[in-house]
Amino acid sequence: MRLHNEAMQDTWGIPGPVFIRLYVVALVILAVGYAIHRRRSFKGTPDPLIGNLGPQQVAFLNGGDRLAIYAALGGLRAAGLIGTGPQHTLVQTGPLTAGVTPLDAAIHNAAGRQARSRDLGADQWVRSSLDQLREGLERRGLAVSRSALRALKLWSFGAGALLVIGVLRAIAGMDNNKPIGFLAFAMFGTVILLVVISKTSRTATIAAQKGMTELRSRHSHLSPQHSPAYATYGAAGAAMGVALYGAASLYSMDPAFAAEAEIQRAAAAGGSSGGDSTSYSCSSSSSCSSSSSCGGGSSCGGGGGCGG
Amino acid sequence: MADVEYGVGIGWRPEISGFVAELPGLRFAEVVAESVHAHGDLPAGLSELLERGVTVIPHGVRLGLGGAEAVDPDRVRHLATVAERVGAPLVSEHIAFVRAGGVEAGHLLPLPRSRDAVDAMVANVRRTQAELAVPIALEPIAALFDWPDDELSEADFITEILDRTGAHLLLDIANVYANARNRGTDPLELLDKLPLDRIAYVHVAGGDEHDGLYHDTHTHATPQPVLDLITELCRRHRPPALMLERDGDYPPAGELRSELDAIAAASGYHPIT
Repeated sequence: MRLHNEAMQDTWGIPGPVFIRLYVVALVILAVGYAIHRRRSFKGTPDPLIGNLGPQQVAFLNGGDRLAIYAALGGLRAAGLIGTGPQHTLVQTGPLTAGVTPLDAAIHNAAGRQARSRDLGADQWVRSSLDQLREGLERRGLAVSRSALRALKLWSFGAGALLVIGVLRAIAGMDNNKPIGFLAFAMFGTVILLVVISKTSRTATIAAQKGMTELRSRHSHLSPQHSPAYATYGAAGAAMGVALYGAASLYSMDPAFAAEAEIQRAAAAGGSSGGDSTSYSCSSSSSCSSSSSCGGGSSCGGGGGCGG
Repeated sequence: MADVEYGVGIGWRPEISGFVAELPGLRFAEVVAESVHAHGDLPAGLSELLERGVTVIPHGVRLGLGGAEAVDPDRVRHLATVAERVGAPLVSEHIAFVRAGGVEAGHLLPLPRSRDAVDAMVANVRRTQAELAVPIALEPIAALFDWPDDELSEADFITEILDRTGAHLLLDIANVYANARNRGTDPLELLDKLPLDRIAYVHVAGGDEHDGLYHDTHTHATPQPVLDLITELCRRHRPPALMLERDGDYPPAGELRSELDAIAAASGYHPIT
């Protein structure tokens, strides 16, 4: 009778120690599975010609759409083709020259309509130039495709489901006057995994990031800490400075323009830190996945800590 | 430095290091000694130049050799360390003072051309030479005024300092032009009196006129009369090296290149661009 009574008291008929073990095993499987999948998706193709990338391509890899737009703004500004008008709008200050990129043309056109820099991402022509830029990089194995990123995000369903189970079990366990300390700890790990999965928004593959490190050392003279002579380096140098060292370069080059155009200083402030953008939380998880093949996965998800 | 011909060079500055790095024919550059750490990493662009085999000359601006008090041993040691680190065949400093009585002037001030000033300068140069493993070249500065108690002519003043110290001459041809123009004298007269065979290298820079006075700004393009003066100098005795000194308001790369080409053309050296 007594044995029967104890069995009756097990929440859902599963003893606590068994449940927590199962839970942690599921969490570790999810974390490791996600890390492996992520690593495959972000592997990319090493590109010996990465040095030939234009500033806007580099900017996209370093800080997505927004930094690509900023790099174009830097180039156009250095060439004297755009300025700012009232209410933080952009204006044209010269006609486009030959040899500009589609994104340059799109932004110059938007400036002709007094667009604001923060609205450029929504401009149809700018949008399609950015997509074009991205597709080119995807074909070269330097950027991860949107569909691959979506597939990677599916792992959040697994982590979410595990979290829901954990919550339900915790509620039931509390009703049953059972201790739930270990479970709470494991659920915390699940939340971390969920955040890591859903925050992934970086696009550069590992191959691209290696190339980027190379580019940064080759163009170290463009780092804002050397107060580069942008007039000497020309429009291409100015754009590359923004691409590699973030919006801080725009502020170093032309503080009045950058402030008037409401350039967000924090956008991809790479460079000095030697890593990727600080505004993209994915960078911390990416360094996890690149530092070790699967050990990184468990530390990413926090599952390793929970299992112990 | 004096026995090798380096041709045309440029003052290395972090702001234009990417430009300097891409000059294919560059054989020598100058770096402000105080901008290089004695121990930490060398500035990135500078170590690339050294790897390429470009000769780098540390140029001191804060030693204050012309001061009445003894030169600061720490500053001398720093100059010597930097010279060693970049493997320089020579260092350079100014015939000027930068501080007096503990007050920093923040820029180079001209010495009165008196025998006392020569003595003080010579003593400090000797103290510096004692710490240096390489020769030193001394650069007379541009002065917008003359001290009332000048006892020596400019040429005698410079020559006496060089003779007594055995130092080389770093001639700033733009200063020669500026001084002559502001005093209404003939720059060629000074060139004829200076020991041109003692020149280690030559500074070339641009300037601007303000209220009737020519200022050696280093932020403007080199004017034609300065280029003409280079030709006159080279006709008398061609120095082994000449370099463009640009310190701000940097122009587009194309303009800097044509300025370097103009210096090459005026001196008869190969263009380095």
